[in-house]
Amino acid sequence: MRRELVLSAIALVAMAAVAGRSAAYEAVAVTDGGTLSGSVKFDGAPPAPAKIAVTKDPEVCGKEKVNPELLVGPGGGIANVLVVVKAAKGKKLEVPAQNPLFDQKTCEFNPHILVFPAGSTIDVQNSDGILHNIHTTSQTNPSANQAQPKYKPKIQIKVEKPEWPIKVQCDVHPWMAGFWVSAETPYVALTDASGAFKIVDLPPGDYDVEIWQEKLGKKTEKVSIKAKEETKVDWKLSKS
Amino acid sequence: MDDEKRSYAALWLVMSLLLFVGALWAIADDNIFRRPWKKFQAEFNRLEIQHLKDAIAAEQQHLDADPAYQEATKTLAEAKTAVSSGEHARKIADLQRQLRQAQQQDQSKDLNLRFVKSELEELRFLYDDALHHGQPTEALLAKIQQREQLRTERQAIYSASQQGIEDLQNQIKTLESAVKTAQEAVDKLTATRDDIEQKLEGVSLGYLPGPKASPPFIGLDWQPKIPKIQQVVLEEFDRNNFDKPIARVDRCTSCHAGINKVGFEDEPNPWKTHPHRELLLGKHPPEKFGCTPCHGGQGPAVNSPEVAHGNFLDKNGHVENVEFIEQPLNRGTKVQASCLKCHAGVQHLEGAETIARGEHLFEELGCHGCHLVEGYDDLAKEDGVSAVGPSLRRIGAKVDHAWMVRWITNPHEFRPRTRMPNFMFQEEQAVQIAAFLLSATREPSETWLAAHPAPSAPGDAARGKELVETIGCRACHALSPDEVAGQLGANKDIAPNLSHIAEKTDARWIYNWIRNPRTYSAIARMPDLRLSDDEARAITAYLVTLGKKQPGPDDLETRLADPANVAAGERLVRKYGCPGCHDIPGMESESRIGVELSSFGSKTKEELFFGDRTDVPETWDDWTYNKLATPRTYATKWIEQVMPQFDLADEDIRALLVFLASRTDSKVPGRYVYHAPGADRVVAGRRLVARYNCTGCHVIEGTGGDIRRLYQDQLTLAPPILMGEGEKVQSDWLFNFVEAPVPIRPWLKLRMPTFHLAAPEANTVVGYFTALDQVTVPYVHIERAALNQANLEVGKLLTSKDYFDCFSCHQRGAVKPQGPPEGWAPDLALAHARLNPEWIVKWIHDPQKLMPGTKMPSFYPGGPPDVLGGDDDAQIRALRDYVVSLGLPDATPSPQQAAGVTTGGAGPSQ
Repeated sequence: MRRELVLSAIALVAMAAVAGRSAAYEAVAVTDGGTLSGSVKFDGAPPAPAKIAVTKDPEVCGKEKVNPELLVGPGGGIANVLVVVKAAKGKKLEVPAQNPLFDQKTCEFNPHILVFPAGSTIDVQNSDGILHNIHTTSQTNPSANQAQPKYKPKIQIKVEKPEWPIKVQCDVHPWMAGFWVSAETPYVALTDASGAFKIVDLPPGDYDVEIWQEKLGKKTEKVSIKAKEETKVDWKLSKS
Repeated sequence: MDDEKRSYAALWLVMSLLLFVGALWAIADDNIFRRPWKKFQAEFNRLEIQHLKDAIAAEQQHLDADPAYQEATKTLAEAKTAVSSGEHARKIADLQRQLRQAQQQDQSKDLNLRFVKSELEELRFLYDDALHHGQPTEALLAKIQQREQLRTERQAIYSASQQGIEDLQNQIKTLESAVKTAQEAVDKLTATRDDIEQKLEGVSLGYLPGPKASPPFIGLDWQPKIPKIQQVVLEEFDRNNFDKPIARVDRCTSCHAGINKVGFEDEPNPWKTHPHRELLLGKHPPEKFGCTPCHGGQGPAVNSPEVAHGNFLDKNGHVENVEFIEQPLNRGTKVQASCLKCHAGVQHLEGAETIARGEHLFEELGCHGCHLVEGYDDLAKEDGVSAVGPSLRRIGAKVDHAWMVRWITNPHEFRPRTRMPNFMFQEEQAVQIAAFLLSATREPSETWLAAHPAPSAPGDAARGKELVETIGCRACHALSPDEVAGQLGANKDIAPNLSHIAEKTDARWIYNWIRNPRTYSAIARMPDLRLSDDEARAITAYLVTLGKKQPGPDDLETRLADPANVAAGERLVRKYGCPGCHDIPGMESESRIGVELSSFGSKTKEELFFGDRTDVPETWDDWTYNKLATPRTYATKWIEQVMPQFDLADEDIRALLVFLASRTDSKVPGRYVYHAPGADRVVAGRRLVARYNCTGCHVIEGTGGDIRRLYQDQLTLAPPILMGEGEKVQSDWLFNFVEAPVPIRPWLKLRMPTFHLAAPEANTVVGYFTALDQVTVPYVHIERAALNQANLEVGKLLTSKDYFDCFSCHQRGAVKPQGPPEGWAPDLALAHARLNPEWIVKWIHDPQKLMPGTKMPSFYPGGPPDVLGGDDDAQIRALRDYVVSLGLPDATPSPQQAAGVTTGGAGPSQ
């Protein structure tokens, strides 16, 4: 029965099944979906943003950078926290018509964390005009390490299978580090600078929600989603 | 008188009956009772027929469901109907009738032509004859001309008839062509099924053929063949008692008929397909190698499975031997004992994992220190000193006396994972042994201590901890009781666990040892990490915080000094064979105390002493398993045994058992032996790799890299994977590098240690890597004059900031990249002396393929389109030439040039 379902499901879900996921995501029509929204805040006194001294190519990269690993806003909201609803089924995961853009500008990855549906092709852009390289460390997908010299301002890397986090580094500029999130479901969000996030069209039900921050680690929360209602949460992460 | 009248009819009847029954019995015995293989083979044939029929049915089902097949059969049926009925059919019938008529008429036309031809022959003869005899010829000539006329006419008639027939045939063919095309389309789809059907005919009885769809006779479906003895003859494989070569005959496939056939994997024995058939039988085709060379057993025996195998499984799954059979079957992993008969090395040999493990354990546990084994007699001692255990020559300078007594009593108490076995000494005996060792090593210990003072000042323990954790110590050593660094077998450590090191020794010894282990012991496996005095003091300060001294027995020092104890200790050391593994002064030429094991694998149970263990089944396997698990188990009240307790894991015992089973006298003729080029260099190299635990840091031949456990998140900081090293680096560079390593990768905190290898050992390393990669010419000669100037220009352009910007990371001699050294990449000015130019090409093509996880990114495919017309290969060759030109001396005359010889060097690009 499960096999038949997988066969009849969309290609992405089939790919997830090939990837060996025990529970493949199933696409269904969602008509009475609920919304999960809220924020993730830092528990305790917020740390001051760390600085990185630039040791190479200062004419392009600048002299000093803010370390993007842990950014806490004025209200205590944490930026770049990944919120993953562990949904077994829901609306179809669509690969975007416009490829997600991952830019390297002034020797920083922009965005610092890129979330995209599995199967997407990433447009990797080098806006700096100096050598960068895109070095991903993957377990499920093949790891990539491609040079992006001046004459190649744009290269494309396809990420077939769901996997997160995929660490992305530039070996030429060791401080450059970011993450890719190849999502298995559409119910994945990243918090904004104020720590807020919103996930819509969730089929009603009880869910485990994984929240992950690169410095603060992973935590699982539980939520209950009701049809056509908004569930508000206020979660906290702390230094372990 | 009476005798003549007596009737013997009854006796005669009885005797006849007996004779008759006897004859019947003889026939039955000869054909059935003593021929179990017939039953097995017949059953296999039935199975095979069944499999093929199932396959045909499945294929037919598949076809029936295939719309293309449905379509094709429909077309065929329609075409057939068309030619057998209606207008079409009438036309064909009409044409065929015409054809028959024409053919009949054709015969008479042919005949008429022949007649006139014969007449012509006759007339020509008469003409010649008349001419020769001077008779008139005119009349004959006229007749000939008339006949020739006639022949031309008849020839024309016959040709027209032939043409008419061909026309008719073509017309019929055209009308029937739709059927032919449709049939061909169907045949194409049914090719698989037809193939299987053909196979089915092949395995069925030859003399009962029949139409494919229906059986030849009612109730006599496809008939199995009559069973036949199947045998393989291996010429000159064995030797008889007079050492003359004799053939070996294997008839195993008479019963094991499916052994080399696909599709019987799930059948029970004897019909089952060989496990890992493709690998094992692919490399060793049974028609060439037979079965018994690997499996053992009695090849020619077919009368009983038990006798043929020489053993059988009882109802508990335990192997029981059959009496008086010398070659019992090697069951399970024991079959791997045969690999070493033909393969020089079994390490990394696919399918030989168990014996490889056994061989490795045998060498690394030091079994050959006590037991003489052919092939291992030189291994135990290097330069006359034992090499398995640490040298005890200066032990008095190293260990705490109380610790020493505890260690000798039971080493597993202090380090459960040590490879040193437990001799189960009483404390009294341990004191005696310690007393002897301390007394025998007093003078060398004191001399060493005098030359190696304690560190000048205490070091910084925090820095020491950081060093221990970053420079590579943990590749071999664990630091907490539960940690495992390098593993030997299932439950032994390669190097000591340091979690309680301070209980064993002191700061002075540690400091001097880590500065250079070879100053303490010439046979030390531990390498020199080229520590500065500061670093050595820091590490010492950290290590002495791990554990603390424990008190020993009362008046220990008095007892250690007692000459009676020293003398008793010396007797114990000799009796228990300590010099087998340890270098002990005055015992350099002690002989081995254990029995020789060179032909242990061929021992019969009568040659094995079971002591009081009546519960152990009397088989070689049971004896050996119990001996390895509990070495003194066969001791009796009168017979003492001294072999120590190794506390091996079950899988290690079984692996050692397989290795011991391989120790036999049997020799295999040369033509069966596998000769891989450089096999001996590979075997020697692997032994050296094991001795110095190179795999603690490096992944070699796909295994090892134990320290990578600490770098899972940052694999670029782990030591390099040595994949294709022989192909990568120049041999003389590698030789010099292992002799005296220089840092190549500035970003690594880990240090490649100096092993202080002797020149032959360094040569073994080079030989090993070049043999692994099958490098035939290990030398490289590059000179500037031979490099293509245009290539150098292009290469230089490609490395510039506008293109690959190589020197953003790579050092180039004195020109250093920006930023801290952790971010740098190897010095390209060293490439000409270090790298093989052809390897550079492969590397630039795809660095990730050669070293997964490397920081070096891929620039190709997709080189700049405006350089060399965007030709990737030409660009890479230009880069290679430019890279090897960096740091290359400008014009050093090579020996060849001096001799006036022109050489090609690294070669200009093609």
